[in-house]
Amino acid sequence: MCKRVTTGVVCGGLLVVFSVSAQQPAPATKTGTIGLYRNQALAPDGPAPKFADGTPDLSGVWLGSGGNSADIANPKGLKPGDQVVMLPWAADVVKNRLSKQDPEANCLPAGIPRGSPYPWRIVQTPTHYFILFEGNIHSFRQIFMNAKHPDDPDPTWFGHSVGHWEGNTLVVDTVGFNDKFWFDYKGHPHTEKLHTIERFTRTDLGHMSMEVTIDDPGTYVKPFTTIGNATLMPGTELLEYICQENNQDLQKLEGPARGPGGQ
Amino acid sequence: MAMRPLPVVAIAWALCLASGLPALAHHSGAAEFDSHKKIDLTGVVTKVEWTNPHAHFYIDVKDASGTVVNWNLELASPNVLIRNGWHRNSIKAGDMVSVTGVQAKDSSYYGSASVIIFPDGHKLSFLGADDPAK
Repeated sequence: MCKRVTTGVVCGGLLVVFSVSAQQPAPATKTGTIGLYRNQALAPDGPAPKFADGTPDLSGVWLGSGGNSADIANPKGLKPGDQVVMLPWAADVVKNRLSKQDPEANCLPAGIPRGSPYPWRIVQTPTHYFILFEGNIHSFRQIFMNAKHPDDPDPTWFGHSVGHWEGNTLVVDTVGFNDKFWFDYKGHPHTEKLHTIERFTRTDLGHMSMEVTIDDPGTYVKPFTTIGNATLMPGTELLEYICQENNQDLQKLEGPARGPGGQ
Repeated sequence: MAMRPLPVVAIAWALCLASGLPALAHHSGAAEFDSHKKIDLTGVVTKVEWTNPHAHFYIDVKDASGTVVNWNLELASPNVLIRNGWHRNSIKAGDMVSVTGVQAKDSSYYGSASVIIFPDGHKLSFLGADDPAK
């Protein structure tokens, strides 16, 4: 007689610890639509897995993002009560940006926490965690575990990220951003003062919640926290996506920066 | 079983679909295509580009005056198409096809395809495309 517990199965008093890793996708019993993808294997119901040493196992292919990528100020993508209040220069920038200027449309990185319709994978090693993005763009982030930021990091698209665990939540602190990526299709900007704190919590086998606190006193009156979710895609692998290959859209984009559907 | 919150990404794409414009991956569909300019074209495929960020195919179509024009029709990325059941040879040069979709805002012979119908009746489509049949 066996009974399932949080991280294993108790069989006749013997705890059998198991973990489900990306290299061994959970057996899928059902299929359905995930994002833009039809007939995808769905993760079965089950608890969030852990590695043998007790570290939460976030590894796998996921789809989702940590905020509203069409408009980061949309209350549906914000922690209840939070607001995105821009300094006057930033409001002017948003008003004047054009869709064809969007770095994402130019095959440049989407930064944090902007998402895409493409899946991504988390890989965990003892010292480094990696987020591998299928698109857009085909790139990666590295998170240095239990490490410190350098004193004066060179500004980069994804910044310098250090991570640690708070219970079952992976907390990723990032500084050292350049000021180039847009938070969303509408063109919400930031400065090199940007500091993000991401919280990844695998709530069950197939789902992860993500919160991102955005603190940029050069652009926003006060910090705000975005919220989002990711869904495990146990039946797929990342595919190649080289955005620069045949980007014909730029010359066709017209008008102000706006969401995919015009919102 | 309790309902899970809808992922934000799903909400965003649902908004795109509701707008009647393609939920394209890396740029605003509304900035490129006009949801009021529906296209319904029939012709022979002259070329297929199975490329990123979008696959494209080109078809020769006779306009009202009998002149043949070559339309450039955008699809989703190969990755989206593959995960919607397509193969790189699902559409190929020489195929006769009928295509529905929307035209570029600049009114050129450039559009976003949503549904492709072949003479034997089988159809190709993908999630995120504008589908006038909806």
